[in-house]
Amino acid sequence: MSVQNVPVVEALNVKKTYMLGKVPVEALRGVNLRVEQGDFVSILGPSGSGKSTLLNLIGALDKPTSGTLRIDGVDIGKLNDNQLANLRIHIGFVFQFFNLIPRLNARDNVELPMSISNIGKAERKKRAIELLETVGLKERMNHKPAELSGGQQQRVAIARALANNPKFLLLDEPTGNVDSKTASDVLGLIQKLNKEQHVSIIMVTHDEKLAHQANRIVKVFDGEISADMVS
Amino acid sequence: MKGIDVFRYSFSAIKLRKLRAALTTLGVIVGIAAIVALLSITQGLQATLTGQLNQGLSANTLIVMPSSGGFGGGGFGGGLGQGASSTGFSLYVNNTAEIATLSPDIEATVAIISRSGYVQTDDFSRVVTFYGVDFERYAQIYPTFRAETGSIPIPPQEDQIVIGTRVNQPGQNGTIFFTPGDAINVSWVNATIIPPVNETYSATVAGVLEKVGGFGIGGPSDTGVYIPIDKVQSFFGTEQCDMIIVTLTNSDNTTITNVSKAIADQFSNQVTVIASTAVLSLLTTVFSTIQLFLGGIAAISLLVAGIGIMNIMIVSLIERTREIGILKALGMKSRSVLAIFLGESVIIGLIGATVGIGLGWGLAVIVAQVLGSGAFSPGVSGNTSGAFAITPLLTPEVLLGALAFGVGVSIIFALYPAWRASKLKPVDALRYE
Ligand SMILES: Nc1ncnc2c1ncn2[C@@H]1O[C@H](COP(=O)(O)OP(=O)(O)OP(=O)(O)O)[C@@H](O)[C@H]1O
Ligand SMILES: [Mg+2]
Repeated sequence: MSVQNVPVVEALNVKKTYMLGKVPVEALRGVNLRVEQGDFVSILGPSGSGKSTLLNLIGALDKPTSGTLRIDGVDIGKLNDNQLANLRIHIGFVFQFFNLIPRLNARDNVELPMSISNIGKAERKKRAIELLETVGLKERMNHKPAELSGGQQQRVAIARALANNPKFLLLDEPTGNVDSKTASDVLGLIQKLNKEQHVSIIMVTHDEKLAHQANRIVKVFDGEISADMVS
Repeated sequence: MKGIDVFRYSFSAIKLRKLRAALTTLGVIVGIAAIVALLSITQGLQATLTGQLNQGLSANTLIVMPSSGGFGGGGFGGGLGQGASSTGFSLYVNNTAEIATLSPDIEATVAIISRSGYVQTDDFSRVVTFYGVDFERYAQIYPTFRAETGSIPIPPQEDQIVIGTRVNQPGQNGTIFFTPGDAINVSWVNATIIPPVNETYSATVAGVLEKVGGFGIGGPSDTGVYIPIDKVQSFFGTEQCDMIIVTLTNSDNTTITNVSKAIADQFSNQVTVIASTAVLSLLTTVFSTIQLFLGGIAAISLLVAGIGIMNIMIVSLIERTREIGILKALGMKSRSVLAIFLGESVIIGLIGATVGIGLGWGLAVIVAQVLGSGAFSPGVSGNTSGAFAITPLLTPEVLLGALAFGVGVSIIFALYPAWRASKLKPVDALRYE
């Protein structure tokens, strides 16, 4: 398939400037990045360097101020709100603070992206249970987020991110809010997904050790890519 | 996102804040209940009055009165004015012959003189309205002018009178005061001379009317006392009459218009010619105004409820900013976010309107019962007690209108918060603490 040659992410001189009142904050100052299908990339950098900003752009949550960002070959700068929403359905995003919907139980949280993408009730229920089984939480599927530990919530968030069979998974500090034992569990799960299901992974972290679990490390410093190396 | 899933999601959001949703819904309930109660009572009243008027006024009947007499003064059931207008114009009993020749469409004419007075025996005294009519012609025009006991004497003796059923049986409880043949004193206070004097003559009850129910202008009344026209003229010392009833051979609009105009012209426009259709349309107009007024007041309370909805939605929007960010990050379209928020208010509006309609109807029934407790049979009552048995009426229009209005107001006031929610940018919403 020719699609194989299209990188899942292609950033060309991407800049992002936030306006803080009248003061412009340059969060990204011209980023060039190419992520191929099946890659496992760690984005490493100090706080405030622009990691989350970059991840949000790749997740189609925001548009670059300038430059070109292609997701699966599509320039997101040219998409309208509806098209961006459609694109997001096929991107798995795992947030730093889990961001589960508190009033929904684990299964309903995992079903949510599928109900957004118009999948029928029976099918999404089945898939949600399968996904929760994959992340080892089948027994907890009727629990609300508040009744789950941080690591468990993070795994529900991963299951949710996988709901619509995304080409790639974006994780913003997936282990930032869990202990090291849980962190290595979560990382094991991510590696398994990457190896067995060939899901491309882009993971933001500022933990060197964790970053080295990936097969590629991209270092961000002050809104620019300072290093791009094989781990 | 599918409609049913949008609805489920809206519902789960409402369930989370039960008390808040309940209070918001209460606002809608009160507004809708007020609207439904007021409208079903006034519509019931209108239906009752219209029904009663229809009994008393057939479509092919015209009523001719001196212009300024109008409906004022005497009113529907009580004694009508003095028969003379402020301009000095008067209708006379013998004008009937003149009117009868005006059009071949005229079937019959009858003059009515009415005066207040009282009837009495040794153990009975009652204020009544006397109606002087030609018994034969009056009975022809009004089939309800029919005796239940005794008979309508045709031609009547000078001293014979006919009384309405409630004159005979004021309590409507079976206690009757007269049987045909009984003597009765007919009195009035003659104020045309100074000092006024009490004038009385002794009459005989020839018949008691069947129950008429309702009332109409000119038509037989349960509280009326009917005296032969000749006797009335001599007793009250007048040739003037209060109204002339004209019946037509048909009730076509053109006939009604043409004859009305011919009569008005004949008396140089100093008479008012009332067609029953005109009375009914006047009644409809009056009631529409009343309903608009009362409905408007009630609607204001619903608007207040709408503001409550808007307030709650804005609070909810702020509380759930992060949630909206998550939904959008998961690929939810703006219009689905809009639908979720509107869905919440539609649910509140639907529940509020449904409960409100039920409550309003219950309220109308209770109020009608309280108002009607002085009356004895539903739908029909006398006009002396002042109490009407109102059967509240909930028309499909009011029912659907209330439902639509409740839901509509809920939607309109939720539009702005819902729109704002839908316009949130996912990154901004996710950063919101
Ligand atoms: N919405 C925004 N408005 C204004 N400034 C912003 C906004 N988002 C990010 N920034 C700024 O852009 C810069 C990069 O922020 P970003 O969140 O990408 O950093 P980060 O590398 O993810 O840091 P951390 O490791 O602490 O999460 C920071 O200086 C931040 O203050
Ligand atoms: Mg960050």
